[in-house]
Amino acid sequence: MPLTARGREMLGSLPGVAPKTATDGIGCEIVRHEELCIGCGRCVKVCPSAAIAESALFDPLQLYDAPAGTTRGALGACLRRIARHEPDGSFEVPDRVRTFRTIEFDRDRCLGCGACTRACPTGAVTARPVDGADLGCLAATRSFATAVSA
Amino acid sequence: MPSVPAALVPGTVAPVPKGPDGSDADDSGRTIIGFFCRECAYAAADATGNARVPLPTTVRSVLMPCTGRVSPLHVLSALAEGADGVFVAGCLEGQCHYREGNLSALDRVAFVQRLLESVGVEPERVQMFTMSANDSPRFVAATRRMHATISGLPRLSRR
Repeated sequence: MPLTARGREMLGSLPGVAPKTATDGIGCEIVRHEELCIGCGRCVKVCPSAAIAESALFDPLQLYDAPAGTTRGALGACLRRIARHEPDGSFEVPDRVRTFRTIEFDRDRCLGCGACTRACPTGAVTARPVDGADLGCLAATRSFATAVSA
Repeated sequence: MPSVPAALVPGTVAPVPKGPDGSDADDSGRTIIGFFCRECAYAAADATGNARVPLPTTVRSVLMPCTGRVSPLHVLSALAEGADGVFVAGCLEGQCHYREGNLSALDRVAFVQRLLESVGVEPERVQMFTMSANDSPRFVAATRRMHATISGLPRLSRR
C-alpha cells in the first residue's frame, strides 16, 4: 500500500527507518467486510491517522443486506415481515444507540497499522500483508500483519 | 415438589383469558407485548394486580432486569411474530437502578420508531413509558393508553 505524505513523515521520524520510495508500505492492507460491520465506531476511536470517520445516518437497507445468523440479519428478517414498502432512505440514529453508525474508511489516509483490526468486536476489519512490499527492517510489522490476518 | 402454575412464575406470560366460545376474551383480538423493568414497572404491575384493578387483556408482560436490556431485536421480533404493539416501561428519568438503562431504552425505542416509519408502519406501535415502583395509577394509565392506541390501528399484516 502506498504511504501517504503523513505516513512517510511518521515513518521518517523513526530512527533507522526511511522509506525508499513513495510506494513503500509500513504494514498491512486493511480489508473491511461491510456485511459484518455493526457500526459501533470502535475503529474510529483507535485510528491514529483519522482515516476512519463515522456518521449518525443509518440506511435501513443495510439490515436487508446483512447475512443471516447475525443480529442485523435477524433485524432485517423481522423488518421484512412487517414492512409495507421498501425502506425510504436514511435517518439519524439517536445518541445513546451506540451501534448502527455509518463508517467511512479513507484508504488514502490509512497507515496500515492494524489498530482497527484489534478494536473490531465482530471481525469486520481484517489485515493482510502487502505482497511484494519492501518492508526492510519492518519485519516485525510484517509478522504482525501475518499474525492478524491468519 | 408441587409444580408451580406457569402464570405464577415471574416473567412468564400469563395464559390468555378465553371467552365462552374459546376465542380471545378481548374482542379486538390484538396482542401488545410490554417489556417491564423489574425495579419499577413490574413492581407497579404487581401492585395493580394485588389491588385487582382491571387491565386490558391484550397486554402480555415480559419481565426485564432493566429496560436497558431491551434491544431493537426484542421489539422487532415481537412485532414480526404476532404482536400488534410493543411498549417498554421503565424507571423515571434519572432514577434507573443501573444509572441510565432507561435512557438507552428511550433512544432504542426512538430508533425502532424511525425504522418502522421508514418501511411504512405506524411508529406509535412502539412506545416507552416511565413510572416509579409505587405508581400503580400511572402503570394503569400507560397500559390503557397503549391498548387504546393499538385498538385504533389496523392489525399488523405480516409476510
